[in-house]
This record gives sequence, C-alpha cells and structure tokens, in this order.
Amino acid sequence: MRKKVLALGLCAAMAASSLAGCSSSDSGSGNAGNEAAGGAALAGTEAPAAGGAGSQEAGNTAANEDLEGSLVFTIWDNNLMDYIDSNDMAGKFQEKYPNAEIEVEKIKDDTEYWNAMKMRTSANQLPDVMFNKPFTLSRFKDYLLDLSDLEAAKNNELAAGYAIDGKVLGVPMTAGYEYVYYWKDMFEEAGVEVPTTWEEFKTAAQTLQDYFGKDTPDFMAVALGAKDEWPDYPYMEFMPALQGGNGQNWNDMAKQDAPFAEGTDIRSAYDKVNELFTMDVFGKDPLGMGNDQVTALFAQKKAAILALGDWGLQNIQNGTDDYSQLGTFYLPVRDSASDPFRVIVQGDSFMGVTTHSKNPELAKAFVEWFYSEDWYPGYINYVSSASSMRTVPKEKDPILAEADAQQPDMEMVMYDGGGDDFQAIQNEIAFDYKKLGAQMFTDGFDLDSEMTALNEKWAAARQKLGIQ
Amino acid sequence: MKSLERQKRIFIAVSLAVPMILLVGFIMVPAFDLFRMSLTDWDGYSESWNWIWLENYISMMKNENLWLSLKNNAVYFFGHLLFIPIELLFAVLLTSKLRAAKFYKTMVFMPYIINGVAISYAFSYFFSPINGAFDAILGMFHLEALIQNWLSDPKLVNFVLTAVSLWRFSGYHVILFMAALQSLPQDVQEAAQVDGADTWQLFRYIQIPSIMLMVDFVLFDNIRGALQVFDIPYVMTSGGPGYASSTFTLYTIDTAFKYSNFGLASTMAVAIMAMIVIIYLVQNKIIHGLVLRRDRA
Repeated sequence: MRKKVLALGLCAAMAASSLAGCSSSDSGSGNAGNEAAGGAALAGTEAPAAGGAGSQEAGNTAANEDLEGSLVFTIWDNNLMDYIDSNDMAGKFQEKYPNAEIEVEKIKDDTEYWNAMKMRTSANQLPDVMFNKPFTLSRFKDYLLDLSDLEAAKNNELAAGYAIDGKVLGVPMTAGYEYVYYWKDMFEEAGVEVPTTWEEFKTAAQTLQDYFGKDTPDFMAVALGAKDEWPDYPYMEFMPALQGGNGQNWNDMAKQDAPFAEGTDIRSAYDKVNELFTMDVFGKDPLGMGNDQVTALFAQKKAAILALGDWGLQNIQNGTDDYSQLGTFYLPVRDSASDPFRVIVQGDSFMGVTTHSKNPELAKAFVEWFYSEDWYPGYINYVSSASSMRTVPKEKDPILAEADAQQPDMEMVMYDGGGDDFQAIQNEIAFDYKKLGAQMFTDGFDLDSEMTALNEKWAAARQKLGIQ
Repeated sequence: MKSLERQKRIFIAVSLAVPMILLVGFIMVPAFDLFRMSLTDWDGYSESWNWIWLENYISMMKNENLWLSLKNNAVYFFGHLLFIPIELLFAVLLTSKLRAAKFYKTMVFMPYIINGVAISYAFSYFFSPINGAFDAILGMFHLEALIQNWLSDPKLVNFVLTAVSLWRFSGYHVILFMAALQSLPQDVQEAAQVDGADTWQLFRYIQIPSIMLMVDFVLFDNIRGALQVFDIPYVMTSGGPGYASSTFTLYTIDTAFKYSNFGLASTMAVAIMAMIVIIYLVQNKIIHGLVLRRDRA
C-alpha cells in the first residue's frame, strides 16, 4: 500500500510539475549571463543619433562597425511581424551595422508575451529588446535601461510622459487612440445622429436596436465580444479616466480606502456602463461571442456600433469589401454638451532595452535605428495606428480622422495603466475590471454589492500591503 | 564470463540510473521546489521573496471563487466517469469482428490527436448564438424551442464544455481499452464460451477483470484530467461568465500570471496534487473494495 501511495504521489507530482518548471533559481545563481554583459569590444562606443543627416551617418560609420554582436528582439504584434518579414529588417539593420545580427522572436499574443517575459525575468533571460504596455512598465522597471539620452526618446511625443523616476524606460512605437466605429448608412436609415453625450449614445443604441432588431432578431446595435472579456476595455478600463479627465485614475485609487464609493470617478463610470450593458442593445447573447466573431458580424453590417482601438480598423476592413460607409467617433462619456469632451490617448508598444542584454549599446543603437528615417516611416504608414514621433508626422486614415472632425475641441487624457501600488492591490484582491464588465451581462448581477465588496477588499489590501 | 557478468551489471546500473536521474531532476526536484514556493510570496519574476509559511494555504481556503472553480471540475469528473462504461462498450464492439472497424477506430481516435486549442476554437463557433452550427442543426429538425445560450448560461455552460471534453478524450480511452482487450489470451475466452458463457458474461467476468489494470489507469487519468482541464474553458469561455466555467487550473494559471502571485498559485498546485491522490484512493477503495468484492462474493 505504501508503495502504491508513493507511486501515486510521483504521478501526481508529474502532473503538477509543469507549474514548478517556471520556478526561479535562488537569486544568487544564474547571473552568468549578466557577467558577460557589456563586453569589452563595446566599451566606450556611442550609439549614433537617430534621424541624423547623411554626413553624420558617414561620420558614424566607424562607430557602427565597432558595434558588434547579436540581439534578440521579441514581439507579439502580427502586423509588425508581417512588415519585418516583408521588408527584411535584419538586412537593413546590417547595412548600417554590418557586424550586428538580429533575431526576431514572435510570441502568439500579448497575454502570452507577458507570461513569457515574467518567466524569463526570473531566469535572467529577457531578450535584448522588448516591448511594454503602459500597465507593464512599472512591473519591469527594474529590468529596463534608461533611454533618456536617445534621440528616439527625445523626439517621441509620449515617451517623457511615461517616464518612471525620471527615466524613460521605453519609447512608444505608436500613439494609441480609441474609437467607436459605426455604419453611417445604418445611422441615417434609423434616423440617428452621431452622439456627443452619454445619454445620446444610449438613445442612439436603443433606437438602432429597435429599428433594425424588429426584423432581424440577431441584430446587435452595439457589438461586444464579452465572451473574451477583454473587448469591454473601452468601457471598463478607459471610462473611469474619461469620467474625471484623470489619466492617473488607477494610481489615485491606490491612495484611497474606498475608491468605489458613490460619487468617485470609477463608480460613476461603472454606473453608466452597467446601465448600458443591461439595456438589451448588445444582441441576444453578448456573452456567447468573442471579439473575432462580433468584428466579423460588424463588418457584415449585422451590428451598427463597435468600440475598439485604432488597430481594429484593419480587422474590420479585412472582413468586408465595401467600407465606404464606415465612420468613427469618440466614445462620448460626458453628461452634457457643456462638459468637456475627453478622449483617451496612450503610448503603445514601448520599446525598451533590458538589463539582461549582453550588448546594451548595440541594443540602444537598434532602438535609435528603429525610430530613424531608415525604418520607422515605412512601418508607421503600413499600420493604421498614429505616429508617436514628432520627426515622422503621419496623417490619420480618413476614416479615423472623421472622429477628430466631429470633436474639434476635444481634451486629451493621457492614460496611465497604473503603477506599483495599484498593481499590488489589484493582484492582492484579484481585481479584474474586464471580467467585472462581462459579469454585468449576467442575471442577478448587483453593482452596488460588488462595489461594496470591492471597497472592503481594497481597504484590507492597502492595510496589508502598507500602502499609504 | 566475468566480463559478461560485469557488462550485465553495468547495463543494469545504467538502465536504472538514467531514468532515476531524469525522475529526480524533472519530477522530484520541481515538486519539492513547488512546495517551497507555496510557502513564499514570490511574484514570479522578482529576485527577492519572503517566507510567509502557511499564509497562502489559509488564503486559498478562504477563496470562494477558487472553490467555485473546483465545483466546475466536478462536472468534468462525473461526466467522464459516467462515460467510462460506454467507452468500454465501444472498445468491445470495435475489438469484435465489425465491418469497417478500422475506419471507426480512426474516427474515434481522431479528436484526440487534433490540437486541443483548435478544437476549442472550432466548438466556440459551433455553439455560437449567431450563425452557430448547433443551433442550425436544431433548427433543421424544428427543435428551435431547445435552443439555449450554450456558452453564457451559468447553469448550462459546464455541461456544454464537458461534452466537448468527452468528444475529445473518449477516443483515447476507447483505444486504451481496445489495446488491453486485444492483449487478452484467446484461449481463456474460448474456454468460457465452450463453458456456455454468453457475450455479457464474457464481458463481465472475463474481459473486465482481465483489463482491470487499464481500467485503473483510465480512472486515474480521469481524475487527473478533470482536475487539470484548462484549454477547453480557457479558449471557449475564458472561464466566464464571471467564474461560472472557471476550473481549478484556469484559476491557478490566472493567479500565477495575471495576478503575479506564484506563491499562491504553487499552493493551488500542491492542493491539486493532494486532491488527485486522495480522490484516487477513495475511488479505488469504492471500486475495488465494494464493487469488485461484491462480484467476487
């Protein structure tokens, strides 16, 4: 019997050891990789300035040849990968830096990307160049080099705004805007105007649902793939910041014991979202479909409204041959037309150099090169996102530019994904605002009790973590 | 002769040492490290961590959503458990002289070799409320009244996901049973037939007891699989709505990666190990101690 129990224990250990495989070694070990960092061949070399004139480039040729070694550049973005493949990024970089080699590593999506990066951090094996989102910058801040001195950082419109302790830890590749996509012909047919306040937005959704839904039971006035949970982010993640015009909303919440109390920005925003989500304008089963499905249906005009980032435009266009009637407006969160009309802007895909890089100077040179005239203009014109570089202005896609034309007096809110304190509390109480949004669609959901429970957990977490 | 003896000993020593080293290196050490991590507050990437001893275990016990997730695992467990007799019957049927048996065997095993994520993705379209194939099939037979919110009704969703899991894994069990049945000596079965045993008696008193080792394995695999189910709910529902279709492993992975709490996630992994052993022992006691003893009597 003892043998049997032992054998069983081993089997069970085998079954569960997959998680243990992610374990770290003791902090003292595994630093061999770092010891090799910054090899002697690189000492004293300076990274060339990005976007420099031709004469400067010629002057730097010798320095470029001094920079040698290999780099690993890890990405998750499919569009970037396609562009890198079709434009021979490694070859072009080697034209400038003949002794450098670059390996691009593609990870399935950003969720998997963060999982992989966390595991690699613990193993001292981060790639030389990695990307971050606003909400991961603070998590990886101890493993990123300061890029303040790079021309790429100086010429970037958003980089300085996301500096942590005065250090620019990543240079945003794009400026991200959030849009509400809509079909102009459907709005016209139903007699709906582009909304400019939250009440108008709700009324428009209801009117569209009543008009088209009477003949088509599957019709969705507002498309939302709530089955995937994350597609509710334009409402659940950004509306609290838009409500009070405070891009630092998450960080300010970390300073309060009851941030979900009546009257706070997040509570007011979630009251609005809950009202909308329970209005029966999302089709017959919003929790039954994911983002891919609803985007495809929206492209086929089985839905009239879809809120997504600028990156969503390509996905919509891929799903239809005729997008001549596709338009955009910004999500109107304000209560009345006399309130300021606020729009979220955030840096996206922050390119950074990690402390685990064996060739940090070469990695910095790569960042400079990436944002230089040699590479960045081609890339930024390939994607639908907006440029983050002052040196490379880009005209918006005409469809996205419509949103700007609708609201010439809009007020920009620079979004911060939340710093250390917020994330510590979030992790402690498993606060997942995207899941909370999806739960609003379920029967019996009570926002009041959820908010009360969250306040209690929040206060307890702050006390436990010693956050002031 | 001495040389041969020495070579034999070297061969035996190497044959024992290599698997032992692999077992210790890849199973035992990670398992002990898992247990060590379960006593810490490690976030999964920082170089430093603190011993917090049993705090994770206490926190796990108090976590309502985790236990709700475990309840969902039970649906998979009982669904697959109830299906084992059917799998056995299929195995017997396919082992007998059946026309086009090879074709059926391939069809039965096919779902198991297809990528699990691809299956889950395909089934999420199959059960889609708009343009979903399943609703269309019901419509074709004028059974519209039976159409439900398959993936968003908290009362229904786990049964739908269990059905997908059955579709995927039953073939694997059938093949295992078939392999065991084919290894049975023919003379024993023929002797039983000569003694007048009918098909049911042959199945019940000769075949089943002879393949009990395989039944044991399938039962164990069922517990392990039910407690560790991940890809189907992760892709098809993300564990939602809320935590209605979350499973213990899904919650564990979220704890580790989404909420950066590897210490607590390790505690949950230790709990899974313990549960697998305990449930297997209880199940074994019931099946061998009660069911089979009654038969022997």
